[in-house]
Order: sequence, then structure tokens, then C-alpha cells
Amino acid sequence: MTTRTLFIGMDGATFTVLDDLTAGAEPVMPFLAKIFREGTRAKLRSTPNPLTPPAWVSLMTGRSPGHHGVFDFIRTEERGDDVFFTLYDSRDCRVETIWSIASRQGMRVAALNFPFTAPPPPDLNGFMVPGFVPWRHLRRNCVPKGLYDQLKAIPDFNPKELAWDFEQEKQALDELSDEDRENWVRYHLPREMQWFRIADYLLREEAPELMAVMFDGVDKLQHQAWLYIDPRQQNGERSEYHQRMRALCMDYFRQLDGFIERLVTAAGPDVQVFMASDHGFTATWEIVRINAYLHEKGYLHWLDAPKTDATKRREDSMFAYLDWEKTVAYCGTPSSNGITIRVAREPGQSGVRPEDYEALRQRLIADLREFRDPNSGERIVTEIHLREDVFPGAAMQDAPDLLLVLRDFGFVSIKNKTPAVEARPCIAGTHHPDGVFLAYGPGIARGSILDRRNIVDVGATLLHSVGLPVPSDFEGRVPEELFTAAHRAAHPVEIGPPTRQQRADENAEAISDDEKDKIMAQLQMLGYVE
Amino acid sequence: MQAPRQTVEQSVIAIVEDLTQDWGLETDHIDGSTLLVDQLDFASVDIIQLCVALEQFYGRKLGFPELLLVDGRYVNDLSIAQIAAFVESRIELDGRAGR
Repeated sequence: MTTRTLFIGMDGATFTVLDDLTAGAEPVMPFLAKIFREGTRAKLRSTPNPLTPPAWVSLMTGRSPGHHGVFDFIRTEERGDDVFFTLYDSRDCRVETIWSIASRQGMRVAALNFPFTAPPPPDLNGFMVPGFVPWRHLRRNCVPKGLYDQLKAIPDFNPKELAWDFEQEKQALDELSDEDRENWVRYHLPREMQWFRIADYLLREEAPELMAVMFDGVDKLQHQAWLYIDPRQQNGERSEYHQRMRALCMDYFRQLDGFIERLVTAAGPDVQVFMASDHGFTATWEIVRINAYLHEKGYLHWLDAPKTDATKRREDSMFAYLDWEKTVAYCGTPSSNGITIRVAREPGQSGVRPEDYEALRQRLIADLREFRDPNSGERIVTEIHLREDVFPGAAMQDAPDLLLVLRDFGFVSIKNKTPAVEARPCIAGTHHPDGVFLAYGPGIARGSILDRRNIVDVGATLLHSVGLPVPSDFEGRVPEELFTAAHRAAHPVEIGPPTRQQRADENAEAISDDEKDKIMAQLQMLGYVE
Repeated sequence: MQAPRQTVEQSVIAIVEDLTQDWGLETDHIDGSTLLVDQLDFASVDIIQLCVALEQFYGRKLGFPELLLVDGRYVNDLSIAQIAAFVESRIELDGRAGR
């Protein structure tokens, strides 16, 4: 068996940074510079809400969120007069992934560290080590059975370094100190090394036809250390701490470049290499407390609970603990950047009557358009999308009613604090809709820059590269111009039968307060919570 | 499908043993009286993972919030026997409903 296609994911990678790190006579990322010179690149437009869960699932399925059904880390679910929060997992994805599509056509695959691949599919032909899984549960979520014991035989394999450490991340509920931020960056160096070692091992020992690994440290570093990574922030006098953080971040990217080079080299000269990110990155400079604004406008009512430790903890974590009977519109999670309108499903239930829904939605849009910077008068929310426009598909009912884009692309805060908008003490990293797409190797056009592609195109491209037809119901298309004319002639893109229907689970487990806190800690660490 | 309590309990024990084998626990014996949090160091995320594992084993949703939530509050701990009894009741319920 021979590897045909190597895919390297880099969560949150952006050309703003990568162009800087590949420039000059002695670039931080010399191998990536070679890929830029000798391969093809394009900006990659993310999902309407450029967020890890919907974006990676779109990349892996060739379908947009309205079809695959994963919109956020956490789903808000209305049950009568209460609202529950449930965790998304792979069972919530309503469509087939490229891992399953390739498997059932006889291809062996390896998919490492991709989010929302746990629990793994039972029909996988190959290897899967899911991302976003605590170390204690890696064994059970690895396939095939016995893979975990194989991994344990890899020298220096350490599942605690490899997996997400919720306990460490829980410590970040308070604002990060300089020392904690530095430790956070250091934490990702050995972590990526662990993923590299597994990828290197499987590539060499098993050589699956489709080999894929995702490095997510790029995103995490950029959230916490954007000030030290963004080339536009490196001018003028810089403190000793700033210089030390910059050097540490550069060590991370230098190490990542080495991993990419070693994986591409191990794959061999006959393998097509593709790289992509789920979204790009940029700077956010202000905090937008969207639920505070909705409260000001009368749509949302805070829960008036006694001041106990538990309620304080809830208010601090701000998991949209609201007076649900009085609230008609709210934002459930900071990462959603969406507003949900509560509709009374039966007479007597709280929420707007179905016949009043559209009028309320229009009033809400008008109010959001008037959410302005008190100093400049500039609109805070620059785009307001209706869900039927950005999330069409069978899963649309699970999407927020409105999707917001803020003027600095930041994520909203849902805390009960005023003012509704204020400047951050210092800039932070946030997601930009444009990520990266790179191709390199035999049959790939050299030094070419394509027009911006869409994230759903990546799955189609990987299937085509490995020699399979693209399912007819994929929204993604193969960007044929990234291949040479000779390669296109020898390997025309084939459109094949549609994907197979996946069972949608509609009863995901409600999660405990403790679990919510852990997730909120993670989201805060990633910069989704102020 | 009939699922005698002992069989269900043995399945739950086997799944918990599989789940915890790398955790470095000092407990060397798991039986019906074993408590997940107090004796096996389960955190909430581990309980969620156990629920997923049991649902995968039985090939169906089992409605675990009903076990985990009592009077609107999450329970502090659960024994293996409590989980087995709940799973058994859900299987019987599904059986009567013809699922």
C-alpha cells in the first residue's frame, strides 16, 4: 500500500502570518517557503461563522453547515420553558465524511486530531485518533482497536501531552498573566511533537492512501499571543517580555515547519500534498457584549438569582443563564456570533408567537443596525445574515436565527456587564473568514496563486487526489486549475454517486454545570470569552 | 431483547474497566457497589464519555439525563449498580415500545 495523498491541517493558519514567516533570506519556515514557490496557493473562505467546529466539519464533508448540522461547540436546545446546552460530537454530523467515503471504496485512511471525529465511525478502513478528546478517553476513541497500544510503543509517546488538558485550561478562567500566557505557548511545543510522531509512525509503517493530520497549536497560539505573532505589531520599541514571547512563538512555527518537511519527505516524491486551515486570523480590539445590548433593547432578561457562589460562578462563566420566560432573543454562546429567537411552540409557552416571529426578527435587525460606536457612530455589527441565507439545508432549524459579523471580526461576549461595547485593554487574536489552501507535489502547478476557494472544496480535492470520484451531492468542487494541464488530462475529475445518508442524533446528552465550566474555560483560553 | 441485571452489570463493569485501564487507579476490583466519582476518580467529562460508550455498546440512545439529573440537579455520584439498573430499565422500556 502506498500513500497517494498527504493532508496537513493547520487550525487558524493565515497568509498574514505565513507570508511573513516564509519571507527573507532566512525565513522562520523555510520548507513552507519552498511549498509557496513550487506549489499552488489560494485563500480559503471559511464557513459563514468562521469557527473550528463548522469549518473543519465542512472541510471533512464537502458540505456547508446547513447540511452537516454542526454550527458551534455547543448546541442550544429549547425544551418547553427552559433552554439546555448540549455538546456536539461526531454523531451530530448528518452527512458522510471523506474518511468514511474513502473507506467504503476500499481506500485506507488515517485521520489524526480532527475535531468532531469522536466517537469514530464504525466503518473506518484505517486509523483515527480524534482531536478534542481528553487523554483518559483516547484509547476508546482510537480505531482500529489496538491502535492505542501501538501508539504507546512509539518512543516518548505521552497521551497527557497529546490530548486536551481540561484541567490546565480550567486554570485560565481568570485573565491570563504574562507567565501563564508564556506557559500556554510552551505547552503546545511538545503537544504538536506528539501528533507529529504519530503521523510519522503511521505514514512510515502503514502508508495509508489518504494520510491526514491536523496541528491545532497555530490557532491556540494566535488567540493568546497574536500581539507577538502578527507582523504588523512588531514595529517600534518592544519590551523584553514581548521579545521573549515573539521568540517562543517563532520556535513553535520553526518546529511546525520541520514537522511539515519531515512528513512530506517521509511521504515521498510521488505524493500530492495539500494543506489548509479552517479559517484565518486577525486582530480584535473591542469587546461587544451582545446580550447586554439585547437587554438594553428589551429582548433579553437576566436571571435574577440569589448571590451564591454557584450563581457567581455561572455569571462569571456566562453560559447564557437567563430568565427564559421573559427572554425572546439571546446569544447562547460567544463562539456562535448568532442570535436565537425564542418561539412559543404551543399556546402558553414563553417566546414570541409564530405569527409574530418575522416582525420581531425585522425589529431586531433594525436595532442591531443601530448598535453603534458611541464615539464615531460607526456600526458595530457590520453584517446581519438571516439563517436561511447562510445556513440553507436540512439542519437549518438548529442554526441561530441571525448570524452577526462584527466590525473587527471578533466574537461577541455574552456577559452581563456594561457598557455594551468597549475597547480591549490590548489587542487579541480572532478568526478571519479567509484561511489558507496550499497544494504541492507531482501534477500540481508551480508557483500559482488561485482565486479564493471555499472550504468545502478541500474534501472534494482530497477525494479526487486519492483517485476517487467526487460525490454528486458535494457542494465542494475540485479547483482543477491547481493541477498541471498534463495531470488534468490524465486524471479528469469524476463526479460519482451521492454520499450515503448518516443518521442524525437528536438527543445528545445535556451537560453538567461542571462540564460547561470546563468548556467555557477552553473557549476563554481560545479567546471566545472576554 | 431481555437483558438480565447481572448481564447488564457485567457489561457496564467491562466498559468501565476498559475506560479506566490507563488511569493509574488504585482500585483493583470493580463491582456493583463501586462508585464512579468517589472510587474511580470520574470527572463529569468521564461520565459523559461513559454514557457515550454505553450507548455505542447497546446501539441506541439511553436518555442518560434522566439518570444524571434528579430534581433539576446533577447527582453527585453513581454506583455501577445504579447505572446497570437504569440501562436495564431503558432496554425493557424500549422492548415494550417495540423498538
